[in-house]
Amino acid sequence: MARKSWMYSVLEAVRQEMRDDPNMVWIFELTPPVASNPGMPVINLEREFGRGRVVNTGIDENWMASAVLGAGLAGSKAATYIPYQGACMPFQVIQNHAGKLRHMTGGKAAMPIVFVMEMTGQTPGFAGQHSDYEIDTYYAHIPGVKTVIPSTPYDAKGMMVSALRDPDPVVYLYPAGLRELIEEVPDEQYEVPLDKAVVRQEGGDLTIVGSGASMPEVMKAAEALAAAGMAVEAIDLRSLKPMDTETLVNSVTKTRRLLTVDQSYYTLCPGAEVIARVAENVEGARYKRVAFPDAPPPASPEMFLWMRPNADHIVEAARRLVG
Amino acid sequence: MLDNPDREINDKGADRQPGTSRRNFLKIAALAGATVSLGGSIARANGEIGFWASELSDEQLLAMYTTILRIRWHERTMADKMLTDPGYRGYNHFYAGQEAVATGVCAALRNSGGVMQADLIYSTHRPSGHALAKGVDLKAMVAEMDFRATGLNGGYGAEMHIADPEVGFMGADGMIGPGPVIATGSAFAIKARGSDQVVVNFGGDGTYATPHFHSALNNAALLRLPFIYVIENNLYHQYAHYSFSCPMKDIADAARTYRIPGVVVDGQDVIQVYNAAKTAVDRARAGEGPTLIEAKTYRYYNHWGAPGARPGELGAFGYDPLAISSFRPERELRAWMQRDPVDIARNILVGWGVIDAAKAEEIETAVRQEVDEAFAWVAEQPLCTPEDGLRHVFAEGTVEARQFG
Repeated sequence: MARKSWMYSVLEAVRQEMRDDPNMVWIFELTPPVASNPGMPVINLEREFGRGRVVNTGIDENWMASAVLGAGLAGSKAATYIPYQGACMPFQVIQNHAGKLRHMTGGKAAMPIVFVMEMTGQTPGFAGQHSDYEIDTYYAHIPGVKTVIPSTPYDAKGMMVSALRDPDPVVYLYPAGLRELIEEVPDEQYEVPLDKAVVRQEGGDLTIVGSGASMPEVMKAAEALAAAGMAVEAIDLRSLKPMDTETLVNSVTKTRRLLTVDQSYYTLCPGAEVIARVAENVEGARYKRVAFPDAPPPASPEMFLWMRPNADHIVEAARRLVG
Repeated sequence: MLDNPDREINDKGADRQPGTSRRNFLKIAALAGATVSLGGSIARANGEIGFWASELSDEQLLAMYTTILRIRWHERTMADKMLTDPGYRGYNHFYAGQEAVATGVCAALRNSGGVMQADLIYSTHRPSGHALAKGVDLKAMVAEMDFRATGLNGGYGAEMHIADPEVGFMGADGMIGPGPVIATGSAFAIKARGSDQVVVNFGGDGTYATPHFHSALNNAALLRLPFIYVIENNLYHQYAHYSFSCPMKDIADAARTYRIPGVVVDGQDVIQVYNAAKTAVDRARAGEGPTLIEAKTYRYYNHWGAPGARPGELGAFGYDPLAISSFRPERELRAWMQRDPVDIARNILVGWGVIDAAKAEEIETAVRQEVDEAFAWVAEQPLCTPEDGLRHVFAEGTVEARQFG
């Protein structure tokens, strides 16, 4: 156990799985699978496992995703790290192949593969293509692909272990804005389930549901609201597909008020699905959504920071919902 | 992998012959140089590249030299701002070192008249050189890169999305891949409507690996589109050497697959770039189809730079934190700086008797002043209004704010 950064925690998980399974491969571009942590040995997958198994490709996300799928179909565990610039380039192969093959083959195709998809949405200044935070919605829509989005280094490691051991394709979303989070993370391998939300804070006045990069702002808002006398139940979705309906319904049955928070665009954001599922199961609750407007993120920090949901927005929305 | 075309022939020729006759001599010398430098590449098969630069007026040559200087001093001034001005917010994928490519290509193009008249260029995430060479307003561009409301694109785009269709600058693009395919669509429309416009796509060596590179060339060849793909091979895509993404030394060899001309050119020499571009443009305008030009060049700075950079530590001026493996050796950088496109252009113009050393100095001083004034003007420009982020999603109206619940 030691305090570890996000990427160190994740690569620790990957390294151990690769040590345990000599067939496993890792494909990357731009972002070498390298991480360091104070007082701990540097992790460098390329150096440890060699370029035969850990491949630095040209800029071709379509190949990266397709190759991982092909490796999985051929019986090898495989993962790829797709930087945020290219997170939708391989959409076709995930949506139309990985997501459907097991079903279309009557269960014969197995795909023990992980697509690590870097997301941003946290960085002002980089404009439409490099500040967007929309792929949670896109990938969560696909049947046959598990789409998860950890929000802490502990979950990031545990969900990576689970994803790599899962027989089905997993889109593992990585909100890069969280890369600076550090917390206590065990050295040994452990699993965090790929289908369970987690209650981060219990409370009876209002349920706030977020995921990924929204979570730090949700927790900040929950703290501010507690200081103002409002008991917030804060839920981290962690898995967008499958979505943990039970945890959501149980909470709102208690609080009768649900606020969802997304960095994704308003239309069809994960919160829309959360509200729909709760509304089908809970009578008489009240709802509100905080999300990024249906506009590409502009470069100007003045425009972008006004549009990006933050703790102040959440606090205000919570007050209006409860008040 | 350092490709080091022999340009000595040019310089020696420049010393020997006076005035216009020097250019005639150079026409022969450059062809000889091309034969020497291009070695086994297929460019030799297209040895009919004319020495078109010999027909350029002094004014045109001066304009090209000035463009090279404007690009260089924009870069250097921006880098200085990042190092010294805590209030400066712009970032950049620096183009310094590659100036002769954008300048030589755009000098062969029609650079006004909007999308229905001008030749169109599609740029990359490293766009400032292309923009200035195509005629984008310097002040407006500098303002855009600093997120000002009066910037070229109102502060919505910044460096990676500057665009000015009026001069045929279709825009920068933060992605590697789709650009060239989209560019062939413009070329297709131009051909379908019977226009004589030409479309140029700039792309780095990294684009070779994308499926889009091959789709663009294949469709351009099949449809004989007025399309020119200019590969700026600066040896590195992001932080990896191009040998990680292309099995050939000369990317131009790929042209053979699509049965189109593939030309390797010394990207440090604006005259050689111009000659190759003019040949390709004439060919495209005449309806003879696409050309692939590979300009061998180099970027002086790292992949990108941002405010807060410190020499040798971060960003554009030393080792990038992401550059953990496979990054470029310093002596390679220094070797390329010995073949600086500014120096080469200046020496050629002085050698040809277009300008003398004093005039060259005078031009550079004026350019520096223009760039300084642009940055000073930008620092006074208004920032964007937050609510404007909801505009320009569609041609009409605004979208709703959703961030407040």
